[in-house]
Amino acid sequence: MAEAIRIQGLEKSFRGHLSIGLHRVLKGVQLTVPEGVIYGFLGPNGAGKTTTLKLLTGLLFPDAGEIRIFGASPQDLETKRRLGFLPESPYFYDYLTGRELLHFLGRLFGLPKNELRERAGALLATVGLAGKGDVQLRKYSKGMLQRIGLAQALLNDPDLVVLDEPMTGLDPIGRREIRDLILLLKEQGKTVFFSSHILADAEMICDQVAIIVRGQVVREGELEALLGSKIHFWEVTLQGSPGGALPPGITLLASHGDQVLLRVESERDLQEILDSGRRAGATVRAVTPHKPSLEDLFMEQAAGGGS
Amino acid sequence: MSRQAPRGLLALSQMGSIALNTFREAVRSRVFYILLAFAVSLLVFSSAMGFLSIGNLQRVILDMGLSTISGFSALTAIFIGIGLIYTEIERKTIYNILSKPLARHHFLLGRYAGLLLVLAVNVALMVLVLSAVLVYFGGFTPQIFPAVGYIYLELMILTAVALFFSSVTSPVVSAICTVAFYLIGHTSSALAEILAPQIKAAWAKQLVTALYHVLPDLGILSINNLVVHEIAPAPGFAWRALLYTACTVTLLLLASALALRRRDLV
Repeated sequence: MAEAIRIQGLEKSFRGHLSIGLHRVLKGVQLTVPEGVIYGFLGPNGAGKTTTLKLLTGLLFPDAGEIRIFGASPQDLETKRRLGFLPESPYFYDYLTGRELLHFLGRLFGLPKNELRERAGALLATVGLAGKGDVQLRKYSKGMLQRIGLAQALLNDPDLVVLDEPMTGLDPIGRREIRDLILLLKEQGKTVFFSSHILADAEMICDQVAIIVRGQVVREGELEALLGSKIHFWEVTLQGSPGGALPPGITLLASHGDQVLLRVESERDLQEILDSGRRAGATVRAVTPHKPSLEDLFMEQAAGGGS
Repeated sequence: MSRQAPRGLLALSQMGSIALNTFREAVRSRVFYILLAFAVSLLVFSSAMGFLSIGNLQRVILDMGLSTISGFSALTAIFIGIGLIYTEIERKTIYNILSKPLARHHFLLGRYAGLLLVLAVNVALMVLVLSAVLVYFGGFTPQIFPAVGYIYLELMILTAVALFFSSVTSPVVSAICTVAFYLIGHTSSALAEILAPQIKAAWAKQLVTALYHVLPDLGILSINNLVVHEIAPAPGFAWRALLYTACTVTLLLLASALALRRRDLV
């Protein structure tokens, strides 16, 4: 599969307050994003996600390392033609209406007037702002600004869409709509690279993820491969007594009336508790296997500090 | 994208869009109207002042009118110019602009052209009011148009100065530096015309003359006094003024473009 983004040995530092000291934000970031995938760039606050995205969009210059987007430099204007970008908590000219903003930014791509008019109308509808296009942006809510930000990122029908925290400021319905839109973009053959700290959203839609901690990518790859198929533990719900004292690999999580909820660490323990429960006359209500979630993986990596 | 304009045309269209947006930003701001209303009031007030002055009423109105146009346009140029680039970075609106296929120097030129457009409208409105006042008092002279033309050249320089400082520092520092440039520009001629002839030591005279050549001289762009006293400018005045403006503006825009070229937009 061809590469949409390749980042190698990316380093970036910023001067501290009053230009004293040097704060190393990125320490040799490496990652590869194939074309046509949804790629989640995850990490705690201050890990270097936004800095990486600004480097990707040519707003910052790297101290060391290299970024290639479709094989070219992010500073190249031709590269920017193929790119759509939604900054984190986007800021716009609040004296413009939503439609005026789209027209203004669309002209920077050289879009003809008629095409721009149609495209702006369609995008406003796509992001759920159909009736709000002629309202000044100063009257938009945070969620509406996020939506108009997404619309402007899609003005040029980009091959690569870079989104910095696209779910921020949205209610659950809005988040779902944005998730659906990202999936639609993938269906259209686009590559979506987005940063997020909302892991549930990332887990639902990402094909691949990278986890960045303190300026370094600590895990990268296909989500399924990263999470694996191994079951971490099981939750067993029994109605009635489990039969005698619980062995060390089984923990009582909750009990309600004659029902108990148990956490079972191994397959052997599972077999044992099911057998002893049946012998004691209990009914097995549920056995739920738990695979590691993206959150587990994320917490594990964040706790490890990326070293 | 379905169709793509040739690169040169696209750059022009992009700069036009940035300029129009800058214009729209100014005319949708209250400050612009407050400044304009104040300037127009002062123009009308200057006619009343004419009655209280000793001397030719029309001449006083013309003198005060041109000074008001010059002063208030300069104030507008400084006030808006010092934030042209800085506020875009500070408010992060620049992220949406420069992540598009727009060269940084084209963005800069667009902002510059936008403010010049604002100033053109500003000056045109003030000239209209001054002309009306002068027609009413029977002192209208078409010479106010070249005078305003030279005021506009000065505004082109002042806007480029403000834009340069806005590309490298905060609005407060930009304002101080641009106002300093304006004040020095309007007083530096005294070095060559008043101070140098009084100095006896040759080396000191050379030093003062050299200093005069290094400092900006906005006086060479003004014909306000000549128009008021109905004196024709010296031959070649226009060319000298145009050349001076073109060189200064080009240098300042190049310096601004260099400052923005590799700047991290944090």
